[in-house]
Amino acid sequence: MLHAQYFDGRSTRVHAVNLSTDGADLVVAGEGVDIRIPLADIKIDERLGRAPRRLRFNGGAFCEVRDLNALDALLSSIGHRDRWVDRLQRHVQFVLFSCVACALLALAAYRWVLPWAAAQGANRLPAAVVNALSQQTLNLLDGAILKPTKIAAERQEALLGKFRALRLPRGGNPDSLLLFRASPQLGANAFTLPNGNIILLDDLVTLLGDDQQIMAVLAHELGHVRGRDSLQLLLRSSAVGAFWTFYVGDISSLLAAAPAAVVQAKYSQDLEQQADDYAAALLLHNGMSPALLAAALEKLAKSKSGAGAGGYLSSHPSTDERMSHLRQFAARSTVQ
Amino acid sequence: MENASQSPPRSQSSSPHAPEPLQFNGNGAEYFGIWIVNLLLTIVTLGIYSAWAKVRRLQYFYRHTELAGSSFDFHGSPVKIFIGRLIALAMLIAYNVSVRLQSRMTLVILLALAVVMPWLLRNSFRFRLYNTSWRGTRFHFRGDVGGSYRVFLLNGFLALITLYVMAPFMHQRLKLYQHANSWFGRTQCSFHARVGQFYAIYLLLLVAMLGFFFLMGVVGVGHTLVTLGQMQKQGGHIDGKAILRMLLILYGTFILIALVIGPIFQALITNLIWSNTRIGEHRIECKMPPLALMWITISNFILVIVTVGLFTPWAAVRLAKFRLECVRLLPASDLQEFEAAEPETIGAVGEEAATVFDFDISL
Repeated sequence: MLHAQYFDGRSTRVHAVNLSTDGADLVVAGEGVDIRIPLADIKIDERLGRAPRRLRFNGGAFCEVRDLNALDALLSSIGHRDRWVDRLQRHVQFVLFSCVACALLALAAYRWVLPWAAAQGANRLPAAVVNALSQQTLNLLDGAILKPTKIAAERQEALLGKFRALRLPRGGNPDSLLLFRASPQLGANAFTLPNGNIILLDDLVTLLGDDQQIMAVLAHELGHVRGRDSLQLLLRSSAVGAFWTFYVGDISSLLAAAPAAVVQAKYSQDLEQQADDYAAALLLHNGMSPALLAAALEKLAKSKSGAGAGGYLSSHPSTDERMSHLRQFAARSTVQ
Repeated sequence: MENASQSPPRSQSSSPHAPEPLQFNGNGAEYFGIWIVNLLLTIVTLGIYSAWAKVRRLQYFYRHTELAGSSFDFHGSPVKIFIGRLIALAMLIAYNVSVRLQSRMTLVILLALAVVMPWLLRNSFRFRLYNTSWRGTRFHFRGDVGGSYRVFLLNGFLALITLYVMAPFMHQRLKLYQHANSWFGRTQCSFHARVGQFYAIYLLLLVAMLGFFFLMGVVGVGHTLVTLGQMQKQGGHIDGKAILRMLLILYGTFILIALVIGPIFQALITNLIWSNTRIGEHRIECKMPPLALMWITISNFILVIVTVGLFTPWAAVRLAKFRLECVRLLPASDLQEFEAAEPETIGAVGEEAATVFDFDISL
């Protein structure tokens, strides 16, 4: 005998009933109710935790059953099987497997899918969007931390001329704009905008002094331009932010804001490596030594304005490793 | 999970006029299984399963919520939620792109979004209520489109141009529109909280925020700014640690406001709203202790961080149980007398249309 509440679907009146089956019909009998319903006409709600389960009949009537074990016995006697999702959710091994699988999938996505998708996205984003994005970023920076340059026009011309004369390994010359700016906060630094234009700060020019070394740093930046790295970084951190919001979003939207900024620095490393390799290849292609970039890095590391907060090296990790890597490049090329 | 209640329905035996508290019987460990499998299937299907996951999540919470010995139910179709999510995603992208690009199209897109939004929100209310039932009788939302535009567009505009002085008024009108247009079967709900009561709580919020900012200013940000100023004057470069410290203090302030003042405000406003809502002649009483909500919010926040998110299902169950069990229904008569709305009384553009055009845009 199985106790249940019967509702007719037209009012909230509770009918206490007993359920039984004779193999072909479900018999619902109790207060003011005595009906038989063919088993084929019953829709059985899946099990969800310890919530009461409903057996739904045509026309909105249903029975609400609390004794889940007795209901299971009745259902198995008529050959009903729970849905697969439902069984998975109660299966301890599968739940544990899900934990591990989720963690592994998240790691794999972070390590391989995200960089790939960001690279694809960065290459497919319409130029109009990228330009607008870059212009806005520049306006924002100009208002806040960038000041007009103090470098003489002739010096600018000379540097621009040398930069434009660089031959790219794949042929042609750089078509990036070189934007001269000063910034007390950022010190000696250079960075690329999503559309490939390069911002060169006064402190970097004066600190390095040597035009060859400045070209070496610009070659590194051209590596970022080629990979559309700043755009990739933007897409990666947006995606991480979006996933985190989805993951803990229903409990706290506060946590959602934090991580994008944190992962960004770690992210740069593989992109830095590629940009260094590209710079080395470009320098060799122009008859210059990759050691020039290493020398530039060394100068930056020794100076306070390059290595301090906001300086070139603070956003470019593990300088020693990079210098030795570049010098190996240079050594190999002289042997050849 | 096998110790299901064996007791027969008690609604017949209990006095018809005794207060009926809401009860929530969900359990964190049980919900964890549902949550993690939902998560896995959502990842594996690249997000498509998330609509089905939402239905299972809502069904878990609705069906474990009981009133007078019977549980609630959620009937929403995952396909409609999926469509709603696609629409919400498209709007989110349109909004973000238009704000970033700032071209002539920006104004057009923002205007279009503003015009569509009230209609979508009304449909979303309808979807949510129509798909909620208790004892087989469904809820309905019958607010008209005009009301939705008044509440969201006109009042939103008023709040904006008065620098949010009218925000409490807008909040009261929104709840009036929502609750007074809600029906349980053939029984209409009503809303009795006055604008003045909203202003009182908002005033408290304002005072608390000002006090908080004053305190934080004295303790942290001011100190850091002074340090920064001194370093600038000495001509040295800015110390990275000072900047980091300032950012941490700002972020910390933001979190503290959300964890301390947020829950207190939320509890007060929830109590006001629900204690002034009636279903026909039946009153509702909501007595959520603000400090207890604050404690739950803070401890959930910390535990979710410490467990890298794994505590999330327990946190959700704990919060739902706390919030729901603060609510009691004070019946004016027998709860067996509600009648479901007959299909023909709803009208041609009523709930039938709701099942075609309505979808849930909330993410």
